[in-house]
Amino acid sequence: MIEYFRKSGFIFSIAALALSGCAGVDDHAGDESTLTGVALVQKVCSMCHGITGESVSPLFPKLAGQQKEYLVSQLTDFKGHARSDPSGVQHMWGFTHLTPTQINELADYFSSQQPMHAAAGKTAPNARGGLIFRSGLPEQGVTQCSACHGAGGEGNGQFPRLAGQHADYVVRQLKVFKLTGQRPRGAIMEGVTHNLSEADMVAVASYVESLGNSR
Amino acid sequence: MHCDLTGSAFDRGDERCTGLTKIKVGFLQALSKLYLPGSILLCLVFSQSAQAVPSFARQTGQSCVACHAGGQFPELTPYGRLFKLTGYTNGVRGNPLAAMIVGDMTKTANNDDGAGGTLSPKDEKFIADFASVFVAGKVTENVGGFAQFTYNVHDRQDAQGNWLGFAHSDNFDLRYADRRVDANTDFIWGVTLHNNPTVQDVWNSSPAWGYPYLATTLGAFSGAPVSTFLESQQQLAGVGAYVYLNNSFYAELTSYQTAKNFWQFLSLGSRTGDPDHPLTYLSGSNPYVRLAYTHEWDAHNVMLGAFAMNAKVLPLDSNNFPIFGPSTQYRDVGVDAQYQYLLYPHTFTAQMRYIHERINDDTQNLYAGPATLGSFKLKGSYVYRAQYGASLAYTNVNGSADALAYPSGTPNFGSESNVPNTQMWTPEIFWMPIQNVRIGLQYNYFTRFNGASTNYDGNGRNAKDNNTTFLYLWAAF
Repeated sequence: MIEYFRKSGFIFSIAALALSGCAGVDDHAGDESTLTGVALVQKVCSMCHGITGESVSPLFPKLAGQQKEYLVSQLTDFKGHARSDPSGVQHMWGFTHLTPTQINELADYFSSQQPMHAAAGKTAPNARGGLIFRSGLPEQGVTQCSACHGAGGEGNGQFPRLAGQHADYVVRQLKVFKLTGQRPRGAIMEGVTHNLSEADMVAVASYVESLGNSR
Repeated sequence: MHCDLTGSAFDRGDERCTGLTKIKVGFLQALSKLYLPGSILLCLVFSQSAQAVPSFARQTGQSCVACHAGGQFPELTPYGRLFKLTGYTNGVRGNPLAAMIVGDMTKTANNDDGAGGTLSPKDEKFIADFASVFVAGKVTENVGGFAQFTYNVHDRQDAQGNWLGFAHSDNFDLRYADRRVDANTDFIWGVTLHNNPTVQDVWNSSPAWGYPYLATTLGAFSGAPVSTFLESQQQLAGVGAYVYLNNSFYAELTSYQTAKNFWQFLSLGSRTGDPDHPLTYLSGSNPYVRLAYTHEWDAHNVMLGAFAMNAKVLPLDSNNFPIFGPSTQYRDVGVDAQYQYLLYPHTFTAQMRYIHERINDDTQNLYAGPATLGSFKLKGSYVYRAQYGASLAYTNVNGSADALAYPSGTPNFGSESNVPNTQMWTPEIFWMPIQNVRIGLQYNYFTRFNGASTNYDGNGRNAKDNNTTFLYLWAAF
């Protein structure tokens, strides 16, 4: 076999060197740190979140029109491995190389997109969810969502936009807040979800999804 | 050697494995003297130290499930497919080395050859089967790829019955790709240099990355007795170009030729005149075309595709040198489809492929006359929490009768009716205790073999005698 490596050594060497790159050389070439935020969106983020932040799969949150402050804090938490919910670990922990400038540009880009839409067939409001969203469940100590996330679920600064977000994603995050300490900055939500049943999580998630812009 | 758990075997994100990136061939040869408990111990030792991760996972910093559906390698998620189509270039360039190792045991229902011997060597014995080393990763923001080199521990036996190993190039794919995307258009294009036809494909209904992802290598009945050209794991030189528009339409055109001279690095281990691993010679350029339509909604995605290839294979003389002149022509036309539902903790996937092959053997060495061969595969699988999985596959192969290709009068492997018609069900269960280790149990249940369920060889052997149980341990580092 070695003989054959030699015979085609020239081509093989080119291929091997090309593939091996400059392993161990810390020159930052090829590490995406020089890309602009928009270029990063086009190259990487859009593969899961969509080019405008309108993701198709509920595995990935919609980012279109999301609050800029919230995006900055989440990207910072992913970069520092402070946010450790399973999907975050699996998909986002690799972005340790993001620069503060890139994080700011990414947040600028997605927050300036047209706000996320309610998916077709998911525009009918859930009555129980609407009640929880607007009024909470005082007897259970569940605060109304609108108090922080806005009457229309549009969000405010560190409080994320919920209107139009994938219901399945919202349910998963509510469970993370209730059952784990995997999301920093989650103290408020831990209290809100403490007595929230899974059925009510589904109801309120369905409701906030229906608040998305109609197409 | 069919090594389907490759290409993706190295792109997972567990940081608890290391060490095997330093595998040397001599070490692998030593492994041949070990048996599975030793392999398990070895793997556990490596899996509990923490330095390195497989190449692509190191590069992206992402877990295996980001690119692999439910962590079941090598099935790609929509993101995994885009990662490959854009040239494996996401992330940070780093150490490109990775490795994998497989230990397994095969049990054949009836291993008696009817003449006092056995059919499957090493039957019911745990063995260190094969290992691969990978060089993989991004080169620039537009160039990346992977090269796999494999060592088979039990390749063949010498005159004294000693087992000999075989080191060779396995799957290879190097590509340049670019993507232009805005709110209205998403356009990916690229060129690829690869060896095994369909190894460049991103759907797991294609032959190179299709089920089974691992199969017995020493079992006498690992599957259907014949396969179409596209399903036969070739080592050729392929240069192709592709486009993928709006995450919907994929088109590719590739040309294959003999992997010799300039292209010999794509077929290392095979060589002209080698009695055990002769180089495959093609006549001129051999075209392959691939079309696919994809659609994604909610947590679902689907692909409908078609492909075709014309291949002219040159005959070899008694010394395994090519005879330039008449060739055996294989015209393969296939349709395939894939469905995936991906929403943690559930993963459900299904793949279907049908290939119709027309064969004209101008050499008349392999087939007595014009022949046809049809190959159908259907597989469904479910994985829970990317740890516990089960799958069921159905294989059906039908071919025209040909006394030269499918001779009668050959005990165990012949066909009394001169046809390769075989039907097989393959249930499998598997467990991934950590994301780069998989333990699986697979069963090949033959309801027909070489044209009949009973006495298919005219010598009293039944299809169910070929039923094969396969237990494996796979690990990547």
